[in-house]
Amino acid sequence: MDNLGMFFALSGAVLAALMAGIGSAIAVGMAGEAAAGVVTDDPSKFGKVLILQLLPGTQGIYGLLIAFLTLTQIGVLGGTSDISLVKGLLYFVSCMPMAIVGLWSALRQARASIASIALVAKRPDQAGKAIIFPAMVETYAILALLISILAVTGIGGLNI
Amino acid sequence: MAILPMKRIHIYALLKDRKPILEALQQFGSVQVNNLQADEFFIKNDISEDLTNAEHNMAMVDEALTILETYAPEDKSLLDSLKGRQELSLKAYEDMESKRSEFQQMAERIRFLDRRIAECTAEMHKLQVQIDALTPWSKLDIPLQFQGTRSSSAFIGTLPGEVSLDGLLVKLAHLIPEVEATHVDIISKTKEQTCIFALCHRKDAVAVEGALRALGFARPPVSASNLPPARQIAESEEKYKVLAQESEEAKSEIIGFAGERESLKLLFDWLTMKIERLETAGFLLESNRILMISGYIPEREIEKVVPALKSRFIVHLEIEDPDDDEEVPILLENNKFVEPVEGVLASFSYPGKGEIDPSAIMSIFYYILFGLMLSDAAYGLIMAIGCGLCLWKFPNMEKGMRKTLRMFFFCGLSTTFWGALFGSWFGDVVSVVSTTFFNKPISVEPLWFEPMKDPMRMLVFSMVVGIIHLFAGLAANIVQNVKAKQYKDAFYDAVLWYLLVGGLIVFALSSRKFVEILNLNFIVPASIGRIASIVAAVAAAGIVLTAGRESRNWFKRIAKGLYGLYNVSGYLSDILSYSRLLALGLATGVIATVINQMGAMGGNNIAGIILFIVVFLVGHAINLGINLLGAYVHTNRLSFVEFFGKFYEGGGSEFTPLGVHTKYYKLKEETNHG
Repeated sequence: MDNLGMFFALSGAVLAALMAGIGSAIAVGMAGEAAAGVVTDDPSKFGKVLILQLLPGTQGIYGLLIAFLTLTQIGVLGGTSDISLVKGLLYFVSCMPMAIVGLWSALRQARASIASIALVAKRPDQAGKAIIFPAMVETYAILALLISILAVTGIGGLNI
Repeated sequence: MAILPMKRIHIYALLKDRKPILEALQQFGSVQVNNLQADEFFIKNDISEDLTNAEHNMAMVDEALTILETYAPEDKSLLDSLKGRQELSLKAYEDMESKRSEFQQMAERIRFLDRRIAECTAEMHKLQVQIDALTPWSKLDIPLQFQGTRSSSAFIGTLPGEVSLDGLLVKLAHLIPEVEATHVDIISKTKEQTCIFALCHRKDAVAVEGALRALGFARPPVSASNLPPARQIAESEEKYKVLAQESEEAKSEIIGFAGERESLKLLFDWLTMKIERLETAGFLLESNRILMISGYIPEREIEKVVPALKSRFIVHLEIEDPDDDEEVPILLENNKFVEPVEGVLASFSYPGKGEIDPSAIMSIFYYILFGLMLSDAAYGLIMAIGCGLCLWKFPNMEKGMRKTLRMFFFCGLSTTFWGALFGSWFGDVVSVVSTTFFNKPISVEPLWFEPMKDPMRMLVFSMVVGIIHLFAGLAANIVQNVKAKQYKDAFYDAVLWYLLVGGLIVFALSSRKFVEILNLNFIVPASIGRIASIVAAVAAAGIVLTAGRESRNWFKRIAKGLYGLYNVSGYLSDILSYSRLLALGLATGVIATVINQMGAMGGNNIAGIILFIVVFLVGHAINLGINLLGAYVHTNRLSFVEFFGKFYEGGGSEFTPLGVHTKYYKLKEETNHG
């Protein structure tokens, strides 16, 4: 039971990649269905709707980023891997903003993306504005990412 | 620079000159014609029939070109789209007038041939089905409908499964022992069915049929012809050949037209121009003899257009200033550094009434923010060199494409700059490669600092960039208000906010706790902090008093003012929003690092090196693509939401002059505003 700290830290990293990844996968899939529908009607809109489809895909990448950052911090990818239980738990909670907000915001962003895809289908000249609506949702994923980054990189220096 | 001044132009001409005048205006491409209202003196020309005809013809030419593309595809490469359209002299267009009926017939012929090929194919398919159905019967030398003679009955049909002659005879003998003579021939057999011919005496017909039915006998589908199957097959094959021949001939005739593709394209362009002229003609007013055109013209085009019109036609021209409250169409002009972001601006909105052209100030921040988000020197170089090469190699490129490439060229330069400052070249590829394959760790030192190692510093820097960006937006607000001579608005809406937000920031910097959180190595002296807090308080009071200044009622005014002050939380969230610069910048760097580490997993051997190269190429291509998209989207967001929120609403309409907007060829001396 000495390595329970490691277990929690790794669980946090895995959950960040897992939940944000699942969210983005579902989200990009949903948006993809809508985008494909638009392209059947007008193949020339492919470029525009592709961007909109990809927008909710970033959460998965952020999740990967946090997972990777945590893995390097706790020494899974080489280096010392001596993590106390408290630190392990700290890593776990640090990963949670990205994991939970990542999952939720991806799903919500997908719905904004789909609405924007419908907008572009009807008014392709408004593509610039259409991109902004899903990007608004992403702000919160970015904020969660920020807190997770700051927390994960900060824990190493704590004296516990 | 910026928004070009517009004038209103009225042209009065003779009705007989309508077509040449419209043609001339189209070639100038610098007058936007307004849709006028008819009254009791002037009426509108009904152009709907001509327009429908021209559109019908254009659709036909377009279809013919698509058909040609199917049967005789053009050699096209990706780079072709960069080359731009070929230039063509005005004369080629004028010659079209006499040749167009010939080309139009050609388009019609191509369409006819294509339809004919489709019909032939359908017919051939039907024949093939018939032939397939008859093939099992090909050995039968009497018609399928043959029922028998005066004293005999014949049964032609199929039994399910594979049946041998002996087996069948045994079964029949078993089922109908009373029938003496039954003759059976097996015509053909497969696993699915056996085709048989059975003959018996007429008196036994009912018994034999009953026995055969019990074995699953079925007659073949009725055929129209009463020729023997072999003859029918031969006949169908003959027809099939004729149809195949015809379809081949049609195909080769279409392919023969491939040489005329250019003429069809020219006709398409000619029709495009004609339709645009016709649509404009519907905007004009005319009496019995007089034609009236009214529209907008950029001031600097007047000296070019007016003398040319006067020398060629009998016209009377009036030029006047637009009214103050008139919504004038917007035409932007900027230098080569600023111009590329006009497209991004257009995707938001053109400047509305009384607003300045924000492209110039927006472009500087656009490039900086984009670079900060992508922030990898190698990615930046790839972008800059790629776009630069394309721009250099294809000088004839379409204008919109050139703007986009130039924008990414500048974004690439900025990315390289920030990447070098932060020490990111394909992430940490240099140190990974040198450690893994040469056992000698070399690392590229950042020129400034590495955000990965010191994220707090990067966060502070991101917010500083944000504050500068927002303050630049406020500065633009002041410029806009001063230009409109609304000095009070400039003071209330911008200067007070400068004082409030600036004062609060300075005050915060004098607090030890705040400085410690941000890890800063300086602190503002307490005395200055106190002054800043007083300034902020005064500004806040000012905002409470003035933010609701359009309300007469003082109670309402103060309430609105307090709500206006609440906007300070908006500033806080705006500034925090720039933390995405850190997050997206780190995303690029960290993913690049992951890719490099995955690539290096194979170790230092041949397989390891191959693995590294593959992972490196694929991984970085994907990373560049994803982060390019992210940087583009979020730079747009910061520009549209945070920056424009301070001063810019848009709502203007684009200047869309009557001009040459062709698809395939470019008219020489064409002045294109598109």
